[in-house]
Amino acid sequence: MELLLTNLAHGFSVALSFENLLFALLGCVIGTAIGVLPGIGPVATISLLLPITFGQPATTAIIMLAGIYYGAQYGGSTTAILLNLPGEVSSVVTTLEGYKMARNGRAGAALATAALGSFFAGTVSTILVAASGPLLTQVALSFGPADYFSLMLLGLIISAVLAQGSVVKAVGMVVLGVSLGLVGTDVQTGQQRFTFGIPELSDGIGFVSIAMGMFGIAEIILNLERPESRSILSSKVGSLFLTREELKRATPSVLRGTALGSVLGILPGGGASLAAFGAYMMERRISKGRHEFGSGAIEGVAGPEAANNAAAQTSFIPLLTLGIPANAVMALMVGALIIQGIQPGPRMVEAQPDLFWGLIASMWVGNLMLLVINLPMIGVWVKLLQVPYRYLYPSILIFCSIGVYSLNNNVFDVYQTLFFGLFGYLCSKLRLEAAPMLIGFVLGPMMEEHLRRAMLLSRGDVMVFVERPISATLLAIGAIALITMLLPNIRKKKEEALAE
Amino acid sequence: MKLNTKDLIGGGLLVLVAVVGLWLNQDHTLGTARRMGPGYMPMLSFWILLGLGAIVVLSGLFNGPDPLDKWTPLEIYAVPLGVVAFFIGYYLAGMVGFTGWYPLGFGALAGCLAFSVAPGWRPLGLVHAGMAVFGLMLEQFGLMVSIVGCVIVASLADPTHRVKGVLGMIVFLCVLCWFVFIRELDIRVPLWPVFLTQ
Repeated sequence: MELLLTNLAHGFSVALSFENLLFALLGCVIGTAIGVLPGIGPVATISLLLPITFGQPATTAIIMLAGIYYGAQYGGSTTAILLNLPGEVSSVVTTLEGYKMARNGRAGAALATAALGSFFAGTVSTILVAASGPLLTQVALSFGPADYFSLMLLGLIISAVLAQGSVVKAVGMVVLGVSLGLVGTDVQTGQQRFTFGIPELSDGIGFVSIAMGMFGIAEIILNLERPESRSILSSKVGSLFLTREELKRATPSVLRGTALGSVLGILPGGGASLAAFGAYMMERRISKGRHEFGSGAIEGVAGPEAANNAAAQTSFIPLLTLGIPANAVMALMVGALIIQGIQPGPRMVEAQPDLFWGLIASMWVGNLMLLVINLPMIGVWVKLLQVPYRYLYPSILIFCSIGVYSLNNNVFDVYQTLFFGLFGYLCSKLRLEAAPMLIGFVLGPMMEEHLRRAMLLSRGDVMVFVERPISATLLAIGAIALITMLLPNIRKKKEEALAE
Repeated sequence: MKLNTKDLIGGGLLVLVAVVGLWLNQDHTLGTARRMGPGYMPMLSFWILLGLGAIVVLSGLFNGPDPLDKWTPLEIYAVPLGVVAFFIGYYLAGMVGFTGWYPLGFGALAGCLAFSVAPGWRPLGLVHAGMAVFGLMLEQFGLMVSIVGCVIVASLADPTHRVKGVLGMIVFLCVLCWFVFIRELDIRVPLWPVFLTQ
C-alpha cells in the first residue's frame, strides 16, 4: 500500500510536469472534439496523430494518445444527448434516454450526469489500474513462452468472439492480420518473407498505413456515402444541477456501470462500446427506474456513460501489464510504444516507471480536466457541430497523407495507405471487421516469437501447451468461449446485445 | 438456395489470400516443429486462413440472402476498368521514363479516376485519387502545391462543395500544415516546388 502511494506520487510528479500537463490537455481537447463530431472516432484520430508523436518522449506521447481515447467518451455523450446523434459508437445507447431527457427540458441534468458519472468511473478505474498493474505484472513475469502464446491466442479468440457479426469471419480477419504481420524480415534467419523484393517491406507492412487506411480513409468514404443528417439544436441545455431525486436515482446506476465497465474493459475485444451496451441492458432490467425507460430515465444515461469511461481506462490494464492490446485503440498504443523503442510487456512497469505511473496519474488529471472542458464549455462544442463534414474530410485526408509520408520520408507509405483504404472499404462492404485484423497484425509477430521459443524449449513437443497449467487454463477458456459462441442460442443473444 | 453474396465474396477473398500466401511460402524453409524455419508460422496461419475462408464460403451458400448493395451496370463495368487503368498507367509511366514509385502512383491515380466514371464510386475513387495526386506531387512540387492538388481532387467527391469553400479550406490547411509539420515537427520535405527554389 505504501509502495503504491510512493509510486502514485512519482506518477503525479511526472504527469504534472508542464509538458505532460500540456499534452494531456491537448489530448483531452482533441478527444472531446472528435467525440462530439460524428464520423471521426478515436481509432482514426490516434492513427492520424501517431506520426506526430514520434518526436516526443514516449511518456508524453502515450499520455496524449490516451487522453484522446477517454476524452472521446466524454465528448460522444454531448452529441448523443443534445442531438440524438451518437458522436461515438460507445454513446449510441446514451441517445435512447439522454435525448428524451433533453426533450423533457433536462438536457443540462443529462449532461451533468454523463460528465460526473464518467468522472467518478474514471477515478475508480484509475485506482484499479494502479492497484492491479503491479500485481498482474508479478503473475505475468512467471509466464513461459508457451503461456504467453496461449495468452495471446486467448486474447485473439475473445476479441473475435466479441466482435460484431459472424464469429468465423472475425476469426478469419484475426488470422489475416496475423498473416500480414508476418511480412518482412524473419527475425531469426534474416530471410525476406512476402516482400516481393520491395525494400520498404523488409521492416514489415507499415502499421500506421494499415490503421490509417482501414480506419481513417475507408471511414471517410463510408461517411460520404451516407447523406448528412445533422439537426439543429432544438432543446435548451437548461440547468446543469441535478435535483435531489435525480441524484438519488443516478448514483446506484453509476456504481453499477463503473463495476461492469471496469470488468468489460479488461476483456480483449471489449472496450468502451461493449461496456456501454452492457450497462444499458443491465439498467433496463434491474434499475429502480426501469419502467420509465423510453421516456427519459436518468439511469439510462448514468449507467452507460460511467461504464464506457471505466472501460476506456481499464482496457489499459492488459496492455500495460501483459503487452496485449484489448481493442483496436490499444493495438495502436502497442504500435506507438514499439516505434518509440519500448517493448510492451510485464517488464514495462519496472523498466519504464515514468511511463507506467505517469500515464496512470495523468488519466486522473485528464478526467478532472475533461470535467472542466465539458460542462462549462458545452456551448463551444455544440458550435463545433456546425462544421460540415465536407470541410472535415479533406483535412483528414491531408493529415493522413503528410503524417504517413513523414514516417520514413517515403512516398511508398502514401500508396500503401491508399491500398489499405481501398481494402478497408471493401472489407466493410463485405462485413469483414477491421478491428480484429489490426489486433491480429500487432500480435502476429510476437506470437511467432513465443511459439518458436516454446517449441524449442519443449524439443518440438506440442503437448507443452496443455501440460503447463497456466497455458492449459488459458487455452481451455479460449475453447469454451469459442464453442459457446458457435451455439446458435447464445449467438442470437449476442447479436441482440450488439445490435445497434 | 439462399445465397449470401457478402459471405461468398468475403470468404473467397480470404481463400485467395491464403492460396497466394501458401504459394509464395514455398520459397521459405519450413524447418521442424522444434526448430521452426521462416516458413513454418506462415504455413500454419495460411492453412488456418484457408480453412476459415472455406467455411465462410460454404456457409455463404445457405445463410443468405444478403446481397451486396444494388449495383448499376456502370458501377460493375467500372471495377475491371479501374484495374485495367491501373496497369496501363503503371506501364505507361514506366515507359515514359518515370522511375522509383512514380509508376505506382500514376497507376493508382489512373485506376482511381477510372473508378470515378461510375457515380456510385465517386467518393471512393476521388478521395483515393486525391491521395495519389498528393504522393505524385509531394517531392517535386513541394508541400503547398500538393495540398492544393489533393484538396481540389478530393473535394470533387462531395457535390455540395462550392468554389469559395474549397479555396478557404486550401488556405486554412496550407497554414495549418506549415505550422504543424514544417515549423513544429520540421519534417524533411520541400515546401515549394523544387524547380523554383533551385
